[in-house]
Amino acid sequence: MFRKFAVIISLVLAAAMLASCTQPTAPTAAPPVSAPAAVELPEKLSQAGKIVVGTSADYPPFEFLDAQGNKTGFDIELMTKLAERMGLKLEWADMPFDSLVAAVQQGKLDASISAFNYSEERDEQVDFSVPYYSSTDAFVVGKGFSGAITKPEDAAHYKIGVQSGTVQDGWLTSNLVETGLLPAENLSRYERAEQAFMDLATGRIVVVMADEVAVKAFMEQNPDLQIVFSAELSTGPMAIVVPEGDTVLKTAFDTLIKQLQSEGFVDELAEKYFK
Amino acid sequence: MNAANFLQYIASGTAYTLGVTLIALPLGLLIGLVLALVYVYGGKAGSRSMQAYSIVLRGIPPIVLLFILYFVVSGAINLSPFTAGALALGIVSSAYQMEIIRGAILSVDAGQMMAARAVGLSRLEAIRSVVLPQAFRHAIAPWSNEVAIVIKDSSLVYALGVPEVLRRAQLIGASNQNYLLAYGAAATIYFILVWLANKSLVGLEKRLAIPGSH
Repeated sequence: MFRKFAVIISLVLAAAMLASCTQPTAPTAAPPVSAPAAVELPEKLSQAGKIVVGTSADYPPFEFLDAQGNKTGFDIELMTKLAERMGLKLEWADMPFDSLVAAVQQGKLDASISAFNYSEERDEQVDFSVPYYSSTDAFVVGKGFSGAITKPEDAAHYKIGVQSGTVQDGWLTSNLVETGLLPAENLSRYERAEQAFMDLATGRIVVVMADEVAVKAFMEQNPDLQIVFSAELSTGPMAIVVPEGDTVLKTAFDTLIKQLQSEGFVDELAEKYFK
Repeated sequence: MNAANFLQYIASGTAYTLGVTLIALPLGLLIGLVLALVYVYGGKAGSRSMQAYSIVLRGIPPIVLLFILYFVVSGAINLSPFTAGALALGIVSSAYQMEIIRGAILSVDAGQMMAARAVGLSRLEAIRSVVLPQAFRHAIAPWSNEVAIVIKDSSLVYALGVPEVLRRAQLIGASNQNYLLAYGAAATIYFILVWLANKSLVGLEKRLAIPGSH
């Protein structure tokens, strides 16, 4: 608490000093009234006055629908704040997770926030902002589970389910399937995470690998599930996806994310949604 | 979300489902009709090329064509997800509808054409006033199959983010974890749409039946 306070005080002092330095030399250049942080934006966005952001609103607690059918969640609130700081109107486009990267690549979306973990494969297609949150992987089993998973490779003894196209999918494929530990037919890929949990409930698979935060949200309604192992394997930093080579937009996100982190806004969101 | 809101949210996707269907079906019918005429009356070159069109389009999963049209082709022309989806499904459907109409044209006795020509009608007039009116009647029954398929295939546009019935069921299911109810509601909506369409086509078939024909 004290440290946050100190940071704010020193920021205010620094700002005041800067202001006092620049004022005499440029008295006419008054700062814009409504924009707290003047970040440079791609011309396309500032001309349109809006930013079109894609998300797959079926992934609580990051993005989902509230009781009124409106989008809500950690990512949704974060992006809302970011767009506000950019001075842009935010326009959401809902799309299945699998389609999001392609849509950013093809310019159908200006950016996407959907609990994206950084991965090298994705980095070849699109660019990433600085991370706004970090997460871990969890191995989840049903209540009848009698085996043991003490290290990630132990999961290879069981039938595993995962959401296709996720970093967990990539980790399982390269670390368990391609190494020969897990027969390829024992890995089931699902279009959405909860389909894997449904198959876990029916016993078609024994273990599900998914992001721990998402798993915990799912477990609130499904108390029979339990996490037997968690670690940072495939996951790590979550970041916003921007078109390849769009450094202006990336820099704008980077600056504002750091700003919101130092203001404690991101921690507040994590507290609100991840408990 | 209470049950009424829940159902209303899913049901309001019906507008998109119907919209996609009502673009894809007539588009497929129009293209299918023209191509069927080329197939039957277009000589060797016509029938060969139409055969190729049919094989290629019926061999590609509709969802692949959807992605190609939205992500690859529409780099040049900026299509909305809704338009791209409806167009892709219409093109896929045109291959099936072409086959339906072609079959229906061939089911009209060849003697009809000869008789029409014998009483002095030109080939084009004979096709328009003698062959096609009978062929269309024959086509209604197999066409109702295609209608059912297009209604259900319209759910594929969810992959581009069109908030139709299926995508809404997914979103609602994810938000309250009641997938059985969400997908059940979606299934009921599709069932009602297909049932209504088929029922009205059966009615149309009866109304248009030529008196005395079987």
